[in-house]
Amino acid sequence: MRTPLSAHGISIGLPADFEGRISLRGRPGRPGTVRSVTGRGAAAAVTEPVAPEPLAPGERHYPVSHVANFPLPPDRGDFGCGAVDRMTGSHCLIALVEYGPECVGTALFAPAGMPTPAVSAFGPDTLQHRISGQLGYQRFFTVSGRPFCLYVVLGGARNAAALVGRVRSVLAATTVAAA
Amino acid sequence: MTAVVLTLTVVVALLAVLVAGLLRSHATILARLHELDGGPAGTPAFRTAPGIPAPERSAPVLLDDPAPVRRAPDVVGTTPDGEAVVVRTSGDAGTVLLFLSSGCATCRAFWDELAAPAGITLPPGARLLVVTKGPEQESVSAVAELASPTAEVVLSTRAWADYAVPGSPYVVAVDGPTGRVVGEGTGGSWSQVARLLAQATGDLAYLPGTTRRAGKPAADVDREARADRELMAAGIFPGDDSLYRDPATAPVDDAVVYR
Repeated sequence: MRTPLSAHGISIGLPADFEGRISLRGRPGRPGTVRSVTGRGAAAAVTEPVAPEPLAPGERHYPVSHVANFPLPPDRGDFGCGAVDRMTGSHCLIALVEYGPECVGTALFAPAGMPTPAVSAFGPDTLQHRISGQLGYQRFFTVSGRPFCLYVVLGGARNAAALVGRVRSVLAATTVAAA
Repeated sequence: MTAVVLTLTVVVALLAVLVAGLLRSHATILARLHELDGGPAGTPAFRTAPGIPAPERSAPVLLDDPAPVRRAPDVVGTTPDGEAVVVRTSGDAGTVLLFLSSGCATCRAFWDELAAPAGITLPPGARLLVVTKGPEQESVSAVAELASPTAEVVLSTRAWADYAVPGSPYVVAVDGPTGRVVGEGTGGSWSQVARLLAQATGDLAYLPGTTRRAGKPAADVDREARADRELMAAGIFPGDDSLYRDPATAPVDDAVVYR
């Protein structure tokens, strides 16, 4: 049985041992507020409330979705900063970050449809914040006319095959409505 | 020559006793199997030869299936910032759900304590989640104003219904590994609630100044873990009535049947 998580046209069917959050990027106290990380561990993450940057006319925030099989901290970076530090070898984190419509049609976002990650596509070089033992995956794509970046972190290489299976299961249950 | 004959005689006698024992054991097994399935169609009822007493028969003891364990529901709602969330309540560590509202006078003490969380202690790894009613029944701006930046707050009317919360303040402790509610109740302050949780769960880590606990020998830890596994496999979870009943006064129905 899956628990549905829906907001901003994104719907994710969460398996029983996963939790998730969908927010708008750049909101105060939300993703994007982690100012700096000085070392490994939750205690080392320095978070400060950040005043919302004023939006230019016509500018808007875009959603970022985080799904994980471990407790997600309230303050996280778009690409899991502040959360990946808490992962163990059996954990995985999925970040689905939306970009503005100006990205549609560009070469970077040309692939269409939700990616289906393979184990061989994961590697430590793809990590945004390199932590020993972790593997990362990053793909840019467009689905339903909306440009996204899918970023996945696996807590440990030893469990990579099983974790990728869990990730694919979550992605298969993810739908994006047209903008 | 005589010695050889005597030795052979003894050996044959011993083998005869052994074969007789095996035949008896085989007959007992057949009788038991016959009791279970009645034998092939048309097979007469099991009986022993005339003059041989029938083995004692015991009717099969039917045991109730253990009640299915209902996992504590996840908390589905939104944060004061408008973030859509699904928070898992079970997992490696436990979750304490603190149901508060913005308008309740008693809740004010909790909101104040959450603003200075140094006085709030939880078992290692446990998570504290403040749950108010959803935006349709609660003032989001009031909650945002009361909520400390360090507190994790979710607005969810559904969670109040899922956990049958009678009113605020109210606290529910969920055991992570089993996903069961292990304690719930109310109090006027976190210190009262912490004592309640410590009593309900037996975990002194809820009480201030007890986070450092004496280590146990590895053998004790292993034995404790094995006992927990076996009890849970038998459908007996923390808080089960049978764990607190005096065996001398237990009803006959609770007697353990050994086969």
